[in-house]
Amino acid sequence: MSFLAAATVVSTVAACGGGSDDDGGGGGGGGGGGENEASDIGITEDTIKLGAHYPLTGVAAPGYSEIPTGVQAYFDWVNDNGGVNGRQIEYIYRDDAYNPTNTTQVVNQLVLEDEVFAIVGGLGTPTHSAVLDFLNSEGVPDLFVSSGSLLWGDDPEANPYTFGWQTDYTSEGKIIGEYIAEEFPDAKVGLFLQDDDFGEDGEEGIREYIDDQIVAAVRYTPGNTNVAPQISELQAAGADFVVGFNVPSYTALSQLTALQLGYQPEQWFYSNVGSDPALVGSLLARFSQGSVTDASLLDGALTTGYLPTVDQTDNPWIQQFQEIWEASGQEGELTNYRVYGMSQAYTTVQALQAAGQNPTRDGIVEAIETAGADWQGPVFAPYRYSADSHMGTSGMSIERIVGNGSEEVQPVRITDIGDAEIEEFDGEASAPPENGIPDEESAVD
Amino acid sequence: MQQFINITLSGLVEGMIYAAFALALVLIWRSTRIVNFAQGAMAAATAFIALALIDAGQSYWIALIVALLSGFVLGAVVERVVIRPVEGGPELNAVIVTLGLFVAIQASIAIIFGSSFQSFPTPFGVRGFEIGDSTIALTPTSLYIIGSVLVVMALLVALFRFTRVGLAMRASAFGQEVARLLGVRVGRMLTLGWALAAVVGSLAGLLIAGGEFIYPAYMDSLIVFGFVAAVLGGLDSPIGAIVGGLLLGLALSYVSGYIERGSALVNVAALVILIVVLLVRPGGLFASSVARRA
Repeated sequence: MSFLAAATVVSTVAACGGGSDDDGGGGGGGGGGGENEASDIGITEDTIKLGAHYPLTGVAAPGYSEIPTGVQAYFDWVNDNGGVNGRQIEYIYRDDAYNPTNTTQVVNQLVLEDEVFAIVGGLGTPTHSAVLDFLNSEGVPDLFVSSGSLLWGDDPEANPYTFGWQTDYTSEGKIIGEYIAEEFPDAKVGLFLQDDDFGEDGEEGIREYIDDQIVAAVRYTPGNTNVAPQISELQAAGADFVVGFNVPSYTALSQLTALQLGYQPEQWFYSNVGSDPALVGSLLARFSQGSVTDASLLDGALTTGYLPTVDQTDNPWIQQFQEIWEASGQEGELTNYRVYGMSQAYTTVQALQAAGQNPTRDGIVEAIETAGADWQGPVFAPYRYSADSHMGTSGMSIERIVGNGSEEVQPVRITDIGDAEIEEFDGEASAPPENGIPDEESAVD
Repeated sequence: MQQFINITLSGLVEGMIYAAFALALVLIWRSTRIVNFAQGAMAAATAFIALALIDAGQSYWIALIVALLSGFVLGAVVERVVIRPVEGGPELNAVIVTLGLFVAIQASIAIIFGSSFQSFPTPFGVRGFEIGDSTIALTPTSLYIIGSVLVVMALLVALFRFTRVGLAMRASAFGQEVARLLGVRVGRMLTLGWALAAVVGSLAGLLIAGGEFIYPAYMDSLIVFGFVAAVLGGLDSPIGAIVGGLLLGLALSYVSGYIERGSALVNVAALVILIVVLLVRPGGLFASSVARRA
């Protein structure tokens, strides 16, 4: 809970600093006197059209299908407060069912028929990979992909229009590896990995620090729900500390299988993606006969964080997002997935503001490269945006799951891909602006 | 050693589930000579009905009975309304119709019950039995699965071998004209065949779901594995379906557990097994007659 105290202190400091109050005109008018024009595809005098693809059905839908509802709620809030430079945001998201073939189809539709200005927060590594070349060859800004793959940011020359957002899996692996090396130097570590870039990137990061501690690395294929052979192998290898780079449904499956096999490693560590306790708990809830009650299976497991979570009701960002969620009048509670969506939408509004009064597709890319590294927001650590890197936020804290919430066990540390060192993050947590809407200056005019 | 035992046991239990599904395919094949690709979606539909009842506070057993009954009705209705018009035509037509049904039913489930992942309860525990100090990959739920599948198999064998209805069903499937001439009411037998197959399929769907997660497409991979198991066993032998299912379950479990990145190779392995069986023994391991056309 020390994190909450820190956040509150920082919010006071930020208020005293008064960063956002005295620059820029009210209502995001920043541009200074010009008139709104239909400056590019998807931009009219009074609207901006944005598109996205998410799995609304299928294996990946639990949790992830809530993200666009959060994005929508945030854009509604901005629109009700005058929009961005007087433009209302029109947000269209389509279902790709986490199937790359569908992603290609819906993104074609968004770009060619709906004529969106940009794609924002498209979800998934295998899915979004399928449209990466198309978006970059068409020159469509491809902002803040919802995935921690390195693909989105490590080579801006090849993919100049694409930007990552969340902490990449390799940096996450490095931070986890360093933590284990320092806190659990005698642990025999087993890796439970999704058999694609997600698992590979994570493994690469973690092996930089604890290669000699790893006794087994097993891989599951999404869709194959029998993980008993994999969990048996970890058990046979004598792993007493299991790190999972997996999606939430496989967190539930791995817990359930471990229960079947009577496998009790001393510590589970799930990477950020697979660890939402409320979702995993609801998946495990029905297994009756007292064998599994609720999220208790995950109690005590470790995970990582780069955003505040809904259980932190004292966090000013969560309070702001709660207000925005309630104002949107959509069904359901505020969840961590909706917080994720709103945070991404917040960054999107920052980018649109920075792109000036009359944004263009090339202009918004330039704006993010120039100004993005300085943006404050709900994410704990700064973004790495520059002309040389389109990687998103760089840091993570380590947390222990307690009930449906978590408590911090290691404050935010930041790093980068490759052999970059891991350092303590010495910046301060930011507080949301007055009405929850950023007020960035134009970085291009 | 413990790893070997657990991989074997988990393969056997998975195999029993493939076998249950293969049994439904065998049943429909024996009684109508059609491979029903909509079987999985029909089973999923009844599993969602069961889950709705359980959520409404009913016991697992009531939900199970209602699901099986709705499977029976669904099978009969599908045969009467959708399959009957294409029966007697080229066999391919009926198969294509079942593929269409598969898509339509799956979409309907998503519309009615939603498409989210949900866990499905099991009446028995999900913790493995303990032998000495070690826990083995055999749970009360696995025993329930194994027991149910064996009972269903025995009932089916008895039905086809010892009852007039079973004989009439086999006759209608084998030669409609001849059966009709001999006084068998072929139409009714076909409907009954579909209805019974849907009940077995529905049971398979519920057994698979217990202690696992379901969503509208959760039976998809089982259609493939169940089909391979059924072909392995000869497509018209209930015992063959069980043996085929168990062999397939074991093979896939060993592939997944002992080959590097084996989990990704499971589907490929199933295909390889299918091709090898078709090359070496086209009639399957337990085919009752070699000359029958497929």
